[in-house]
Amino acid sequence: MLTIVYGDAENSIYNTSVYFKNSYESEWFDSELAKEIVRDVDHSDVLSGECIQSPVLGQIPPERLSGGVKTLLLMLNEPDKIFNASTCGDNCAKWILEIGKRQDITINLRHMMDFGMNTRFDIVIKNGGEVVHSMKELIPVASQYLNAMRQEQD
Amino acid sequence: MKGAHRVIVETKKIKYDFVVKRNITILTGDSGSGKTVLIDYIRDYRRYGADSGVFVSCDCDCRTLDNEDWERQLEEITGSIVFIDEGNRFLPTQRFAELVQQSDNYFVIATREKLPMLPYSIKEIYGFRESGKFRHTKQKYNEIYHLYGEISNSDSIEPEYVITEDSNSGFDFFSSLSAEKHINCISANGKSNIIKRLQEEKICGTVLVIVDGAAFGSEMRDVSKYLEAEKNIVLYAPESFEWLLLASNTIPHLNVSAILEQPENYIDSAKYISWERYFIDLLIDSTKDSPLWRYAKKKLPAIYSSPKVIKTVKKVMKLIVWD
Repeated sequence: MLTIVYGDAENSIYNTSVYFKNSYESEWFDSELAKEIVRDVDHSDVLSGECIQSPVLGQIPPERLSGGVKTLLLMLNEPDKIFNASTCGDNCAKWILEIGKRQDITINLRHMMDFGMNTRFDIVIKNGGEVVHSMKELIPVASQYLNAMRQEQD
Repeated sequence: MKGAHRVIVETKKIKYDFVVKRNITILTGDSGSGKTVLIDYIRDYRRYGADSGVFVSCDCDCRTLDNEDWERQLEEITGSIVFIDEGNRFLPTQRFAELVQQSDNYFVIATREKLPMLPYSIKEIYGFRESGKFRHTKQKYNEIYHLYGEISNSDSIEPEYVITEDSNSGFDFFSSLSAEKHINCISANGKSNIIKRLQEEKICGTVLVIVDGAAFGSEMRDVSKYLEAEKNIVLYAPESFEWLLLASNTIPHLNVSAILEQPENYIDSAKYISWERYFIDLLIDSTKDSPLWRYAKKKLPAIYSSPKVIKTVKKVMKLIVWD
């Protein structure tokens, strides 16, 4: 099941790129789902756990994958942690739903992610406990909590 | 800082070529479109110059800002375009917003996060896409494109209900205009209340939501997604209500067409956090000596609701059919 915390989330990982760089394991790239995510979002192929073939950048290490792919891989492999999924574009949304179907994950969103206007889903909004099934249901609820998000004090 | 500044960033593999013309530009959109790559290239160029293999061309300094020591750096940088990638925890802070407000720099921020304390324009929210143009076979060209336009519709619309962000003079004006057409006009009392008001009102027919585009950037994503999910709602986002009055060319002895054509050449980022504020000041200042036309933000002077002014403003609002 996918759970979302909108706005500020305690103990969440905000800078997912840095966390990924220092935490990823080459075995993460063995799974078919990881390879599919890399192919779909970054149009790249996994050559090994330490080498990705990008059509633009050539052969790159995993830390040079897009911010979105890195965050998806973190959700997949460290489901007990809450990651800032506003590092993911809308092209990652279907993969977040897919990971949420396979295991329980909680993500933090600081923007209005589009999970697909014609997509049905089950998402729990942790802020108020609502369960939503479509973007039509999700948008007003998410908007309320995103508006409540205040700029953090230093 | 004033003016439009062309930025070219190039390696053997990718080329970026775009123009920055306001104090805040937002880069957003899909993952893997090249936002972080652009900022990494600029960082490498700043650190290593020609040794980086990156070519950067701009008529002012391009620099990056990261978490470490960001506040001191920002206080010292002037006359530069400052690129900031997502993941920097200072981005949603009050202190960052304060420093941007007083800054003589332009900022290009790669983020999807709502930054409500920064009044950025809907016109300066961009995505990147591969354009398919190649200088030579190995180099890909990443093109910048506008995500949002002045109006959310591509066809003309006839409003049957009007909601304004504004609760002052702008609301007074659109109330008069709506009354002429015998339709309702209400104020949302602020840019963050649009979705709430749309939900609360029991509305039948086409709704026109009018906001100040110059400062509506942080709300644009939420509202445009709401519009996608609901039908019969159109968002109209000119720079501001005062911009509409200036652009209508209806105020006697006032010629600001050169300013309106290229506002970036007149608006100092250190003085105006948003073009919205500049257009208010411009209208107030330009009319202060005329007892009849003296503009006030709080309460619309009667002359601005006259049939003549309403008629000329309607002409500026393209695609919206009032008559």
